[in-house]
Amino acid sequence: MKHSASIVHRMLPALIVLGMVTLMTPAEAFCAAAPASAGAPWWIWVVGLFVFSFILGIVAVLGGVGGGVLFVPIVSSFFPFHLDYVRGAGLLVALAGSLAAGPPLLRKGLADLKLGLPMALIGSVSSIAGAIVGLLLPAREIQLMLGIVVLGVTVIMITSGKSGYPAVRKQDSLSRILQLSGVYYEEFSRHEVSWQAHRTPVAMLLFFVIGFIGGMFGLGAGFANVPVYNLLMGVPLKVSVATSGLVLSINGSAAAWVYIFNGAVLPLITVPSIAGMMIGSKIGAKLLPKVNTKTIRMTVIAILALSGIRSLLKGLGI
Amino acid sequence: MNNATEAPANNLQPGGAKKEGSYADRVHVLYAKTLDLVSHAVIVTMSIGYVLYLTELLPLGIPIETLAANWNLSAADMQARLHQPSGWSFLTNPGGLLQGDIVSYMSVILLALATLFCLAVAVTVYFREKKPLFFTIALGQFLVLVVAASGIVAAGR
Repeated sequence: MKHSASIVHRMLPALIVLGMVTLMTPAEAFCAAAPASAGAPWWIWVVGLFVFSFILGIVAVLGGVGGGVLFVPIVSSFFPFHLDYVRGAGLLVALAGSLAAGPPLLRKGLADLKLGLPMALIGSVSSIAGAIVGLLLPAREIQLMLGIVVLGVTVIMITSGKSGYPAVRKQDSLSRILQLSGVYYEEFSRHEVSWQAHRTPVAMLLFFVIGFIGGMFGLGAGFANVPVYNLLMGVPLKVSVATSGLVLSINGSAAAWVYIFNGAVLPLITVPSIAGMMIGSKIGAKLLPKVNTKTIRMTVIAILALSGIRSLLKGLGI
Repeated sequence: MNNATEAPANNLQPGGAKKEGSYADRVHVLYAKTLDLVSHAVIVTMSIGYVLYLTELLPLGIPIETLAANWNLSAADMQARLHQPSGWSFLTNPGGLLQGDIVSYMSVILLALATLFCLAVAVTVYFREKKPLFFTIALGQFLVLVVAASGIVAAGR
């Protein structure tokens, strides 16, 4: 394991450069004819999707981002599948990842239902609305807007900080009513950490917007949930990340049904994406302590920016 | 105020390790248990379903080559051309449920249902523990997902 980790560590810059070159290559180079699958056997795309999702799973964990936000813009730009199926798969990839990570986080008291359910209730309604709007609009417009959203996510990732244990002096009244407070055990420092939340009404409004965007573009919205919980509501980072997964599983499930009922979920595409991402994430989690995550995070941000630009250009027909 | 304090000794196992579940109440433990069970069932079903699909051990409703030749079309256009499964349409599939693509599709449906099972547990626990506020929120969330899964609000192109 140590040896393989070292190989991966050494190969990572080359893989990243390869990824960047790939991102800047016109999509036509990959799928010259329409239908794109006419040029290559179908299984090449399916195997390619599995391998790509596997690498994405590793990179996403090491870069500290959810896989969904990278999956949709990149796959929709470089694979021959229509954006509808990519968004459907993206939601289910994010859903599967959050479900798999959920049980230990719930048992440790990190993922909190009291904190998650009210936000998910609002977010799931808006994610259904977002998915409906997303399926009503033409694919090119969605691709264009996706580019803008992904570039916005890039800016959020660059500018937003993190706070391990934010100080909240006083709960707001809604937070008190909803009992948004708790205690968890910090294994690293062997201390109990008690927390409470504030600015709940503003956070609810933001969760509505985040749910809509997530449903519309098929993105897991951890990139936005975590800063709202952590930086706005003052919830400790670990509780924010864990509870964000809980919210994501509920919102993702709600929006996924819209895609399922519109025939936008193809198991042929969805299953290898989920499998690749989950296996990659597990390996990424094992590699995490052994690699320089700061460099990788910056590279992931660069890849995100490039895929945003790529989506933008594709949406503009360039 | 968020702060860090020494963990009480009764929450620690010999050697200082933390007892799992000490900070999670009953609803969280049961939610986690259900999630664990369902997510394992999803992984197994998905793996079996996909193998049956790709190897064509079971007959297929739509051949993979035909599907792949049309995956550049929007969902609405493909639906009009191939009638691929959508929503619960597989239940009335003329070829029955024992088709490779239908079995694989059902595994995806199970994944989408996973959260619903967990929420049903949360609703039940909050009801039994007489916590009206959280019971109402959890029930509301459960109903939103039921409505989504019914297809009532799934208007598309």
